[in-house]
Amino acid sequence: MTDSILKIQAVRKTYVSVRTGDTIEALAGIDLEVPAGEFLAVVGPSGCGKSTLLSLVAGFTQPSAGEVLYRGQRVTGAGPERGVMFQDYALFPWRTVLGNIEFGPLARGVALTQRHARARELIRLVGLDGFENRYPHELSGGMRQRCALARMLANDPEIWLMDEPLAAVDQQTRTILQDELLRLWGDAARRPGAPTVIFVTHAIDEAVLLADRVVVLARRPGRIKAVIDIPLPRPRPAQRGSPQFAALVAQVWDLIRDEAAKAIVEEIDR
Amino acid sequence: MSRRRSKILVVSALAVLLLAWEGAVVLTGAQASWPFPSGIIRSGFAITADGTLLVALAGSLQRVITGFLVGALVGIPTGIAMGLLPWVNLAMRPVTESLRSIAPIAWIPLAILWLGVQGNAALFVVAYAAVFPFILNAAQAARAVDRNHLRAARALGAGPGLILRAVVVPSTLPTIFTAARIALAIAWSSIIAAELALGVKIESGGRSVAGLGQLMVATLYVKRDVNALVFGMLVIGLVSFLIDAVLRRLRDTLLPWARR
Ligand SMILES: Nc1ncnc2c1ncn2[C@@H]1O[C@H](COP(=O)(O)OP(=O)(O)O)[C@@H](O)[C@H]1O
Ligand SMILES: [Mg+2]
Repeated sequence: MTDSILKIQAVRKTYVSVRTGDTIEALAGIDLEVPAGEFLAVVGPSGCGKSTLLSLVAGFTQPSAGEVLYRGQRVTGAGPERGVMFQDYALFPWRTVLGNIEFGPLARGVALTQRHARARELIRLVGLDGFENRYPHELSGGMRQRCALARMLANDPEIWLMDEPLAAVDQQTRTILQDELLRLWGDAARRPGAPTVIFVTHAIDEAVLLADRVVVLARRPGRIKAVIDIPLPRPRPAQRGSPQFAALVAQVWDLIRDEAAKAIVEEIDR
Repeated sequence: MSRRRSKILVVSALAVLLLAWEGAVVLTGAQASWPFPSGIIRSGFAITADGTLLVALAGSLQRVITGFLVGALVGIPTGIAMGLLPWVNLAMRPVTESLRSIAPIAWIPLAILWLGVQGNAALFVVAYAAVFPFILNAAQAARAVDRNHLRAARALGAGPGLILRAVVVPSTLPTIFTAARIALAIAWSSIIAAELALGVKIESGGRSVAGLGQLMVATLYVKRDVNALVFGMLVIGLVSFLIDAVLRRLRDTLLPWARR
């Protein structure tokens, strides 16, 4: 594929546990290419290396072996063209909603009036009007998520790296945020130059609903067990509850079931 | 028991205690070396009215605040550097650890030798006392900065300078405020100790009173007023309580996001 924005080639990542001194093989031999504009979901049981994979692409850590190439360049550090949304949001508690959202433009040297204008635009877009001067601890879980999303979007990143971004909210909020995320990404009418998304989740139905492809990871060591195309038509929100949707969820679930069971047993053993 | 009744109980217990105290001292005729409530109030009025208390208090406070600021200015950057840079930590650790274990007031003789008795010696002791809480707490807080906050800042395009200013420093501020409260408490008790030590020396040289500690020495050894001495002690306690209250209030207004 020539238009791959991201190439992950024979990547391994081993950690050395500070506590026991053991080496942990978080990822073993990952090969993956992501075309520009794709919405890719990554699922797998906890501890299978999903966050590690995102950290490698974000440039927070380096692979122990193999290469991560972004637009043909080896990733050696973080950069604003690769936006990250963390599972715990990692909002700056000492900055207001506005302060958090304008942080990216501030870091890139955008002038005050322009970055405020951009931040206010995003605040409207994610529905946080009236909350711009609140601190993160004054927001609900769903609002923090929107704030983290807006903060990531403020830099107009080419790729969105999202680590279980909707894990910690209730089902209704989650459904609403899924729809909003799709809308922001360009679910209905995909523009040229639309962002690429790598979306980590442990919810299979969420992966199937959002993604063009679903990567299923296995654990110990972390590796790709399967890559499944999701040929559902877009816009996707209309597909919730359709028979094809249910069939695809069942297909992914079949692949993951053994792994999930193993993970639970190991969790109990420990 | 209702709130009102328990309040009445507390007040009457206190009144009984004070009356018993007063009675015991007056009836045994021990007023010369034992303080008693009415005497404390009378002497308190006297040293407040003639201005000596206020002058002494201002002198002590001024040195405490200056010493505290010096301690903060030196201690916070040192601590943050130690927390962030392992080599700075390695180099500074032995120095801070060994100096920290020497009580501030143990420096008084040397401080007097170097800086004289007029006040700079006390200032030195206070700055010395205040610097270590700042160093230790700032270092610990800088090490404890949330890794994801640092990563988020980097992914948003922030360089080292902005990360230091906009992530590391604000993350450490709540802990630094705690350090400030500890530092001020230690500084305040050190100034009194230093001034007491200096006061003895000053009185022997026949010079004037400069701070609360000196005032206490003077009231005891010159005026033989044990009640004024106790009043001075009460003022010391009150001031230390007020300083802490001010710092807590300041924390809530300056760091509204850190309020729990
Ligand atoms: N910094 C680290 N040091 C040591 N081990 C780690 C570290 N980060 C992750 N691991 C280990 O690597 C494995 C994969 O972790 P992670 O990528 O967080 O998985 P996931 O996000 O899928 O739950 C786990 O076994 C985890 O304990
Ligand atoms: Mg994870």
